[in-house]
Amino acid sequence: MHAIFRPPVNWRHRRFRYGLVVWRCLNCGAVHQYATRICRRCRSNRVAEDRLPDRARLVTLTVVKNPPVSFEKQAPYIVGLVEFEDGTKMLTGITDCEPEELKPGMELERVVRKIAEDGESGLIVYGYKFRPVIKRR
Amino acid sequence: MSKLSGISILGYGAYIPMFRIKAAEISRVWGLSESELPVVEKSVNSVDEDTATIAAEAASYAVARAGIDPSKIGAVYVGSESHPYAVKPTGTIVAEVLGVNSRLLSADLEFACKAGTEAMELVTGLVASGMIEYGLAIGADTAQGKPRDALEYTAASGGVAVVIGRSGEGAIADLEYASSYVTDTPDFWRRGHERYPMHGSRFTGAPAYFHHIISAVRMVQEDGYSLEEFDYAVFHQPNSKFPFAVAKMLGIPAKKVEPGVVVNVIGNTYAASSMMGLAKVLDQAKPGEKILMASYGSGAGSDVFIFRVKEGVLAKRNRAPLVSELIERKRYIDYALYLKARGKIRE
Ligand SMILES: [Zn+2]
Repeated sequence: MHAIFRPPVNWRHRRFRYGLVVWRCLNCGAVHQYATRICRRCRSNRVAEDRLPDRARLVTLTVVKNPPVSFEKQAPYIVGLVEFEDGTKMLTGITDCEPEELKPGMELERVVRKIAEDGESGLIVYGYKFRPVIKRR
Repeated sequence: MSKLSGISILGYGAYIPMFRIKAAEISRVWGLSESELPVVEKSVNSVDEDTATIAAEAASYAVARAGIDPSKIGAVYVGSESHPYAVKPTGTIVAEVLGVNSRLLSADLEFACKAGTEAMELVTGLVASGMIEYGLAIGADTAQGKPRDALEYTAASGGVAVVIGRSGEGAIADLEYASSYVTDTPDFWRRGHERYPMHGSRFTGAPAYFHHIISAVRMVQEDGYSLEEFDYAVFHQPNSKFPFAVAKMLGIPAKKVEPGVVVNVIGNTYAASSMMGLAKVLDQAKPGEKILMASYGSGAGSDVFIFRVKEGVLAKRNRAPLVSELIERKRYIDYALYLKARGKIRE
C-alpha cells in the first residue's frame, strides 16, 4: 500500500495538499508539508506556518505515461515544476490542458482535484494541482 | 411561515468541468435520430474531478464573491446524488479545502436533483434562528446515466454554491420566501450498491416534475404573490423542454425563463441544475429585480424561493467566473474518452 493511503499520513498532510499550507523554518528556510515545531533539517525551533500563493509560474513539465499503482486511472498526466513569487519551487500535477498548450513562464492557478485512488474500496486522496487560469484578475 | 426577512445571498459560485460530449456523439454509438436528442451537448467531469472537487471549486467562488473570512462559516451542506463515498461526508472535505473553522455543522444531503436547494432551505433556517452567522449550501453532481439509457444524453457534471447570511451591505439578493412541497412519488431511484438509477420513463412528467413544481408555485400564490411581479423564473432543467412547458402551464412567459436556461449546452447537472439557472440569472440581473425559483427532485419534491436582487451583485459579480465564461471554456471529447472520464471502463 502507498504511504499516502495510510490514513494517518494522508490526514497529517491534508492542509498542505488542500491549501498549500507549509511550515517554514525561519532559520534555514526548509519547507515542511505538515505541522512541526522543530525544523527537520537544522533542528531550529523557529518554524512558522505559511501559505503559498494560489498562483505560480510554470518552470518545466513532463508527461507520465507509465504511472505508479493507484495513479493509473489518470494516465497520461502532466507533472510540472512551478515557482511561486517568493522563489519557492514545487512539483505539482497539471490539469485541464494538453502539454502542447503549456509554455515556461505561464501563469497557473491552484485547484483541488483527485490525486489517486486506492482501488474501488480504499481512500480517495485529494490535493492541489495547477491549471491554466480561468479568469484573469 | 414561509416569508423571510433579513436573510440574503452574500455570495454565489458556479463551476462547470471543461469537457463536453455532443448528444450526436452519444447517438453515433447507440443510435437516436437527430430530432430526438434532448440537448445539444453536456458537461463531463475530468478524470480527476468528482462531486467533492466540483463542490469545493464552486464554494471557493461563492466565498470569493461574498468576501468573507471562511473561518466564520458555521455550516457546510452538500446536496448530491453522486457523493464520492457512501459513508464519509463530502462536506468535511469541502470545508477543509476552504479553510473553514472546525466549529461547524456539516452533512451530506440526498434528494435527487433538489438536494442542493434543500441545503439552501436548511442554511436559511440556521441563519434565521441565529445559530450561525454564515452558511454554505452546495448542490454538486457527476450524474450517472446508464449507457444507452435516455438519461445518458443529459446526465452531466457541475456544481453551484451559495453563501447565506444576514442582510446588509454587500447583499447580492434578499431571500424573501422559502418553502417546499413533497410527496412520495416513485419516478426515479437508485438502490444501494447499484451504479445507475432507474426511472419511470413517462411517469417522470405529469405526476412528478409538473405536479410538484406547479404545487410549489401555487403555495407562493396562496401566500399573496402574483406571478406577474417576477422578472425571472428559474426551474429545474432536466431537458430543454420541461422548464418552458411548466412555465407555460403557470402562465409565465418564456422570456422570463430563457435567461436561466443552460441545459441545452451543459446538460442536467442534477443537484446543481436549478441553482445553475439562479447563478446565471444573478450574473445578469439588475438591482430591484425579483426572481422566482422552483427546483425539482425525484422521489419527489420542489423547493420554492423568492429573491430580490440587491446592489451588491454589481460589485461582486466579477470576482469569480460567470456561468457564461464557464460554458465557453470547453473541450470536446469522444465517447471513448467519455467512458474513461466517467469510470465506465472496468478492468
Ligand atoms: Zn531549518
